[in-house]
Amino acid sequence: MNDALNDMNAESLKFFGKVNASISHELKNILAIISETAGFLNDLTELAKQGKELKLSLLENCSNSIAEEIQRGFTTIKQMNRFSHSVDVAVMDVDLLDILDLMIGLTGFLSFAGKVRIEDKDQKFETITTCPFLLQNLLYRILCFAYECAGPEGEIRLRLSPEKDKGILLRFINSGQMPVEKFPDEKIKQTADLLGVEFKKNNSFYELNMLIPYTCDKIKDVEKNQ
Amino acid sequence: MEGMEKIHLLMVDDEVKFLQTITERLKLKFFDITSATNGKEAIAAAEKGRFDVAVIDLQMPGIDGVQVLEILKKNHKYLEVLILSGHATIETAVTCTKLGAFKVLEKPCDFDKLVEAIKEAYETRLKKKFEHDEIRIKQIQALALGQSPLGILKELAKMDEAEK
Repeated sequence: MNDALNDMNAESLKFFGKVNASISHELKNILAIISETAGFLNDLTELAKQGKELKLSLLENCSNSIAEEIQRGFTTIKQMNRFSHSVDVAVMDVDLLDILDLMIGLTGFLSFAGKVRIEDKDQKFETITTCPFLLQNLLYRILCFAYECAGPEGEIRLRLSPEKDKGILLRFINSGQMPVEKFPDEKIKQTADLLGVEFKKNNSFYELNMLIPYTCDKIKDVEKNQ
Repeated sequence: MEGMEKIHLLMVDDEVKFLQTITERLKLKFFDITSATNGKEAIAAAEKGRFDVAVIDLQMPGIDGVQVLEILKKNHKYLEVLILSGHATIETAVTCTKLGAFKVLEKPCDFDKLVEAIKEAYETRLKKKFEHDEIRIKQIQALALGQSPLGILKELAKMDEAEK
């Protein structure tokens, strides 16, 4: 268990670094757009000083673009904040939809990310007692796998349903095939094992099902070792 | 740059708003620009048009910037390629330089520095092309001495084949 935890800690650090790098890339993109739009406004002002006609629609587009990018920046920073605080407490009660929503947002910064849609988003589920950081790690990896299978134009639908006294069944329905021989890899298997997550067999190459338990004994070990 | 021949530029970035804005700004600097939002489009555009310089983002869906760089440098001998990315690390900079990138710039990049880098890349392209043409003229002059017109044509065809 300790070896597994040490491996997991190293992997967790890598995951934390990877996500932070993708956030910084997103922020750089946002700043680049704001910077170029402000520069473009300067260019237009210079041209106007030289007597060239200044189109008001261009000014409007520029200011709208800056406002939109600032909003995108706020959203990104909020996601970064939520992610950073997920390591504050080792084990806690979490809302699976919340975590999924954050992971969809964070994986969305990756260049190969496709579309993801949570079906019946308004459903209410019991909270699950788990290690939020490890669960994020697991869902992030699975989403990455699903994006690669879906391809740039593909779509992934997520369906959640409660399993009485057991947990929440999460189904990834992919527009692309998910080869069984590639899933789950060792890292996914190890994380899933620590979280008590069980992968359910099904007959479709387009679907991946997992049961996330409401609670599990192994999680208590994680809490003790933190 | 007004009055000079326009530099034909290929801009490649999957961040559409960035691409649109920088394209507008570069147009004001008298560049002739074609833009592409992914690697596949960029490779197709380079096959159709004649470009002096390409500015490529690294992380894009499908074919990424490093692959685009490799393909463009292989298929377009005199095209100079600048990498402009928010993801540039020392490792990627080394990889891109080995693959023939003229420069690797980090996003967000000062606009004047970008313009300067494009001009430098263009001048390098002209210099390389001039040197190549000069060598070729010398080769043709050497061929012309003591060869029949048909012999000259055959030798020229061989030279063209060797350059492919």
